[in-house]
Order: sequence, then C-alpha cells, then structure tokens
Amino acid sequence: MSGKTQGLTGARGPVARDGWRRRLLVAAPLVALTVLPVIRPYDVYLHTVLLLAFLLAIQAVSWNIISGYAGYVSLGHSAFLGLGSYTAGIISVHTGLNPFLIAPLGGVVAVVAALLVGSVVLRTRGHAFVIITIALLLAAQIVAINWSSLTNGSDGITMELPFWSRDFQNVPFYYFFLFLMFMTIAFSAAIRRTKFGTGLVAIREDEGKAAAIGVNTTRYKIVAFCASTFFIGVAGVGYAYFQTFLNPIGAFNILGSVTIVLSALVGGRGTLWGPVVGAFIVQIASEAATVYGGGDQARVLLFGLALAAVVLFLPAGLLPTIQNWWRRRHPETVEYTDQAGALGSGRLEVRVRAREPQATATPPEQRRALLEVRQATKRFGGLVAVNNADLTVQEGTITALIGPNGSGKTTLFNLITGAMRADSGEIWFDGKRIDHLPPWTRGHLGLGRTFQVTRLFKSMTVLQNVVAPLPDARWRTMLSGAVRGHESDRARELLSFVGLSKFVDQPAGSLSYGQQKLVELAQVLMMEPKLILLDEPAGGVNPSLVAKMADIIRGLNEQGISFLVVEHNIPMVLDLCDPVVVFARGAPIAEGPPSIIRNDPVVLEAYLGDEWADPTAQPAGSGRTVAAESAAGSHGQVRR
Amino acid sequence: MTQLVQALALGLLIGGVYALLASGLTLIFGVMHIINVAHGAFLVLVAMLTWWMWRETDIDPIVASVVTTPLMFGFGWVLYRTVIARIRGSSPSMSVLLTFGLALTIEGILNVTAGNIFRSATPAYFEQSFRVAGISLPKPQVYGFLAAVSVLALLYLVLTRTWTGRAIRATSQNPSGAALVGVSATSTAALAFAVGVATTGVGGSIMSVLYPFFPASHYDWISRLLGIIVLGGMGSLPGALVGALILGLAETLTATYGSLRWSTLVFYLVIMAVLLVRSQGLFGTRLREDVTT
Repeated sequence: MSGKTQGLTGARGPVARDGWRRRLLVAAPLVALTVLPVIRPYDVYLHTVLLLAFLLAIQAVSWNIISGYAGYVSLGHSAFLGLGSYTAGIISVHTGLNPFLIAPLGGVVAVVAALLVGSVVLRTRGHAFVIITIALLLAAQIVAINWSSLTNGSDGITMELPFWSRDFQNVPFYYFFLFLMFMTIAFSAAIRRTKFGTGLVAIREDEGKAAAIGVNTTRYKIVAFCASTFFIGVAGVGYAYFQTFLNPIGAFNILGSVTIVLSALVGGRGTLWGPVVGAFIVQIASEAATVYGGGDQARVLLFGLALAAVVLFLPAGLLPTIQNWWRRRHPETVEYTDQAGALGSGRLEVRVRAREPQATATPPEQRRALLEVRQATKRFGGLVAVNNADLTVQEGTITALIGPNGSGKTTLFNLITGAMRADSGEIWFDGKRIDHLPPWTRGHLGLGRTFQVTRLFKSMTVLQNVVAPLPDARWRTMLSGAVRGHESDRARELLSFVGLSKFVDQPAGSLSYGQQKLVELAQVLMMEPKLILLDEPAGGVNPSLVAKMADIIRGLNEQGISFLVVEHNIPMVLDLCDPVVVFARGAPIAEGPPSIIRNDPVVLEAYLGDEWADPTAQPAGSGRTVAAESAAGSHGQVRR
Repeated sequence: MTQLVQALALGLLIGGVYALLASGLTLIFGVMHIINVAHGAFLVLVAMLTWWMWRETDIDPIVASVVTTPLMFGFGWVLYRTVIARIRGSSPSMSVLLTFGLALTIEGILNVTAGNIFRSATPAYFEQSFRVAGISLPKPQVYGFLAAVSVLALLYLVLTRTWTGRAIRATSQNPSGAALVGVSATSTAALAFAVGVATTGVGGSIMSVLYPFFPASHYDWISRLLGIIVLGGMGSLPGALVGALILGLAETLTATYGSLRWSTLVFYLVIMAVLLVRSQGLFGTRLREDVTT
C-alpha cells in the first residue's frame, strides 16, 4: 500500500514541473502577441498577417471540436464565417448599429444553422455529414446570390468604415481577433476537460461502444457541431467589418474551408494546440506563397498538394508527431500490472441509483424478472440468428447463457443492449419496454455490457476510458469534469478496485488483453448498472485472473447487481451461475440450475452432436427424464 | 400540359446523365468506403481533355470517350496503386481529405495550364433539337443520355455477368469472405477504383458538350453528385440511379415553374427531407454493428 502511494507522489514531481513548463510555453507567446502592437505600432502589414492568422486559428480550433474530437469531418466550415459576416452586414446596414455590438448575434445565427443541419444529418452514423457540409456551403452561397432583396445579390454589401481614427489602423481588429482566439482556445480546452469532451473522443474511436456506455451520441454530435460554429460566427462579424465589404463568392468560399482543414491537420487534429500552431503555419506559408509564388492561381495547387502530402506523410499532424518523438527519446518506465492489487483488492462499495434496499435480501421465490425477452427474432438475410427466443433474468441472479458458437448469444446481447433492433418481439427491463429505446437510454436505465473482444477507446488513457460512461441523461452529468471532481475520483476508485491504479494515465491500447477486460468492467461499473451483460469475461484471460473475475462478479452480485453471462468456460459457469440457460440455433433449449444442465442430453446433443449424446445419455435414464422435464418445464414457463 | 411533359422528358434525359456521373462515385464508395471527392475534378479534367481534342481534331466530343475512358481507367488504376492504397485501413475521413487534396491539385493544374475561363465543346448539333409529339428534345441531351445509358448498361453487365464484376460485388459485401475464396482485396479495390474513375471518361466527355465548365466547377459537380448518392443511399447503384433522376426532375421542374437559380437549393431541400424520414437514404442499408470487431 505504501509502495503505491510512493509511486504516485513520485510521479507527481515531473508532472508538476511539466505543467509549469507548459504554462510558460502558452503564456509567453500570448503576452508577446498582446504587447506587439504597442512595441511595433506602425507595422500594419505584420498586424494584418497576424490578425488573419488569429482568424484562421479561431476557425481551426472550432472545427477541431466536431472534426478533431468527434471525428466528423466538415468540409464546409467556412460557411459559418460567411453566415456571421452576412448577419453583420445585413443588420448593421439596416439598423446602423456598429458590428462589434452585434458580434454575438453572428455566433447565434451560425449555431442555429448548425443545429438545423446537424439534427437532420447527425442522427445516424456514416458519411452523409461531410457531404452535407459541402452542400451547406454551396447552398448558403446560392441563397446569398439569389435572395437579393436581403443580401443585395452578387453586388454584395458595403459596410460603414470603422469609427476610430486612422491612426489606430487595424489594431482594434487585431485585439478583437486575439481576444476571440483566446476565448475559442479556452472553450475548446474546457470541453476537453468535461465528460462531454471525453465522450466526443469516444465517438470518434468507436461510436457503437460509446452508445453502449450511455453516451447519447446524437446529442453529443449535434452539440459539438453547434459548439464548433459559435466563435466562427462571431469572428465572421469582425471579418466583415474588417473588410468593410462582403459578397457571396468571397463569404462562402470553399478555399476558406480548405485552409481551416489544412491548419488543423498540419498542427494535429484532435489536439488542443495543434490547430493553433497549424493556423499560424498555414497563414504565414500562404502569405509567402502569394508574395513569392504567383498569386491565387498557384495557391489552389499548393493547398491541394499540401493537403494530400499531409494526409499521406504526416497523418497525425506536427504536434503529436513531435510529442511521440519526444516520448521515444525520453521513455517513461511503466510498471507491470499490480497483480497483488488486482488479486487482493478489497470490497468495492457499489453505487446504484434508485435501488430498492431489500434487493439482496429478497428470497428466491419472491424475486421478480429484471430482464425479459419475449419472442425476439433477428434475421440477417436468410439466416435467423435469434429465433423467437424467450429469456428471463431474475433480479439478483447470475444467469448464464451458454451454447455452441453461432447459436445467437451475442446477437441476443446486441438486441438487449440496442446495438441492433429485433425484427419482432419485445424486450422488457425493470418494468419498462425497452426495445425501441436507443442504446444509451437503456444504459441509463441500468443496463451495462462488456464485449466479447474488448472495445476500449485505444487512444484515450485508461482513466478517460473509465470516466467516459454516463449513468444518466442529465446535462449536468454530461458537462461535469472528467479530469477533476467526483467523476474522476469514482473512476480512480474503480480502477484501484480492479488493480489498475498505476495505469490511469497510460493509453488504453498499451494494456494487455486481460487488463483491458478489467478496464472494460470498471467502465461498466461507472454506469451504476442494475444488470451487467458479460460477453465471455474469462475468454483469453489467465487462470488466476479468471478466479479473480469470478470473485469480483460474486462480490458485486452480493451487493445487488444482477448478471447475464455468456461464457465458454463451463467449469466457471457451473460454479458461478444459477440458473443456466442453454441456447442453440437462436433459441433457448434448456434452462435450470447447473447441476441439472450438466447432465441434460438435449444440451449435450446441442454441444456435441447426436452421435455423442445418444449412447452416453441412454444409461443415465433418470437424468434424462429430469432434464427433459426441466427443459419442457422451462419452455412451458416462458411461453406462458 | 405540354410544358409539364417537356419538363419531365428533359428531366429524365438529364437524370440519365447524372446517373452515369454518380455511378462511379457510388461504386467506389460501395467497395472501398472511400468518398472520392476528386470525382468532380476528374470529370472536369476529362471535359477539358475532350474539349481540347475536339478543338484540335474536330472529333465528336461524345465519340471521344472511346479514348478518354480507357485513359481514365489507367489513370484510376495507377492513382489507386500509388496514392490511395497508402491510406487503406485508416479512417474514412482521411480518404475524404486525401481526395479533396487531389481535387484541389487537379483544379490548380488546370488553372495554371488552361486558365480560369469557361469552356464548352460546341459540335454542329449543339443547338439542334429533335421534335417529338410537340416537345423538343435538344440533340446533345439525347446523345448524352443514350451514351450514358449504354455505359450504365455495360457497367451493369460487367458487374453481374463477369468474374471481375462478381469479385467487385463480393468485396463490397464482405471483404474478408471474398479474400477467403481467393479474391485479392487489393487488386479488386484497384480494379473497382479504376472502373469507377473510368466512368468519368464518358461522363466528362458528355459534360463538355452539355455544360460549360471551368477548373473550379468541380465543387459544384461533386456536391451535386454526392447529394445524389446520399439521397439514393451511399454505395447503392440503383439508389444512385433514382437519386439522379430525382435531381434531374427537380432541376427541370424548378426551372420550369420557378427559377433555375433555385434548382440546386430545391434538390438539397429534397435531400434533407428524405434524410429526415430515412436517415440512410432511399436505398441505403443501416450500417451493421459488427459483432466481433
């Protein structure tokens, strides 16, 4: 125990020093940029290049929220700059208000547009999003050209000149964009520190798994899309004012989107600072290209080649590449699994919401059905994977689901958790019908699952993996901190329970398979489930860990969590589970306590084929009748 | 009434051409899950090539596709082997960005070499029409439609009747299963990509007559074609066909009863309306959550 604490404090030292160094790395350029106009007041060209870099950084950092964190690439993000610009142009021309006063309105318009488009295209997974964003940009251009009564068509809108004295040149714009860039980075950083941010990365890594741990992927994506447009809309107002003129072709320019995407990619998509670094590089390079390279015509070619080259040769971006190189130069020693911790850890206080206190004390005959599958069927083309199956899990039990490969166990899991929809049948959980609910809502009701082959978010740290799950649908939970606060405390607690405290900051992909299974269990516990579906918890895990896994399951069960376990390790199943349900060809063929199931000829036949079952089952005559009765009984019971 | 029939007939003619233009895009997506954003740029490239051949030799632009199609097939194959194959296995968004980069590169090259001006191939029949039962069908549209439909029919026969076509379809449905029965995923992908790009050979040639183009018109084209395949369901060939006909009809009907300026917008609104009801598009299938991976 003391060794553990030492390890932790020992690790704090370099982390703290790192944090100090990092703060200086951020603060120094910021201060320099802030004082620059004071030191070099008349260098208009420099101011302009820099303020355009700020503008690009605002856009790239914003873009990164939906396309970097959540992984949904937008190729039409400059549309929101144009929307902000037109908002400013139209309102200030009609009312005479100064554009700076109405700057937030530009952001609001952008967010509304994103909300409308996002709620149509972001409801499902897939690639329609990127396409619709291109369409959005071009559609906005068409509207701006053709709705001339509002936008003055192709002639564009000329705005009033800035009110300040010419002596100030572009300095007010410089500070406007600098301030906005600072706000955008702070906003992006804040998102990363919440469960919302963790959830976005989870969506990027594995959207199906994210939904299974209670992440409302639709809501997350739409909110992220909206969040990625607000500051661009505000910046658009400033940009229109800066140019004092706007027209449809300039405001809704796809090259603008290209520079945004290129910036984020060059710097490092999905990182906080990558898009900022990239924006400065791209802006300065494109300035140089215009000055030395031969103008706009060549710029398209250069952007195209640069984009292709970055994707091919530097897909992670500059910052992550440098970071990796640095890590390889300065390797950290990672300790081996805390086996002692894992195998000897104490009892975990289970936290379950709205649980009736007597749950554990209920005698078996008063138990109620926690999960009921009624006549569920799922077909894949001609193959019937789950065929009119009934299944009941009584509250407080550890129910096993065994059966030969291909008998439909995992498909049944997918139907229960909502990863797939059943073609027919009903699924009831805790008194509610759930078969039409999305996976995350089922998770919020108290249904958790692990996967046959672990599906951790490999690029996230172990701690982030465990913080990501959401136990309920409240916005407060979604926006609570993922780095500090009760959520991360709970995650650490769960990780120490499974013996992985020392790995909290390691990328989950670097763990061994058995360790990943434990992390996945901690992840599920984070959802405070009533019922956990385990898909082969002992598969590919070493024997001592199998015993430990069984102990953990038993311990959690004693505190009231029910289990449905798919497992091929029959000794473990017979030892741990009661009742045992046997599945074959998509439907249950027998159900009963392990002592009966192990001798059931129907089961033996399903597993081993007729030839084996017949001769051996014959002598055990009494066993056969009992088993047959039990099989028949179970059918009659469920069918009722 | 005549006006409506005229609009419908023209819409079908245009839709047939759109179907050909979108078929390669949806084929490539179906097999490789690559959104080839450079498809529009390929079309413009071929249109430019056709225009140049037409000006130099006076060969009919649509007939010129017998040259441009094999050329684009080879181009697609080489491009896949040398560039696209490098990002196999990375996320689909990377393929979007890569092909977007390619599109810009082609646009840039055309900008620098051919200049940023509108062009259009105008053979002798350019402004002539057939008159059938009181409605007029412009000859270029009719020829373009016939060429498009025959190429689509050929594509259909290749996909359904040849071993190569079956290999392509097998790989699109189940890559690992196809690999197990001896279909090499890489060569099939290269082949499918090449076939998909080869359709731009005919498509671009037809385009050079039907639509004035300049280097940056590829944005307009790609967004229209991507719209078609989103509407029809990504990766579905029949979907692309239906989506294309809907776009053709939406365009001619808006142009007849409203204003041509709004026709593209009307089409986008149709897409949004369809996605509201069927988020996977008309003929699309929902992505199946794979069980074991």
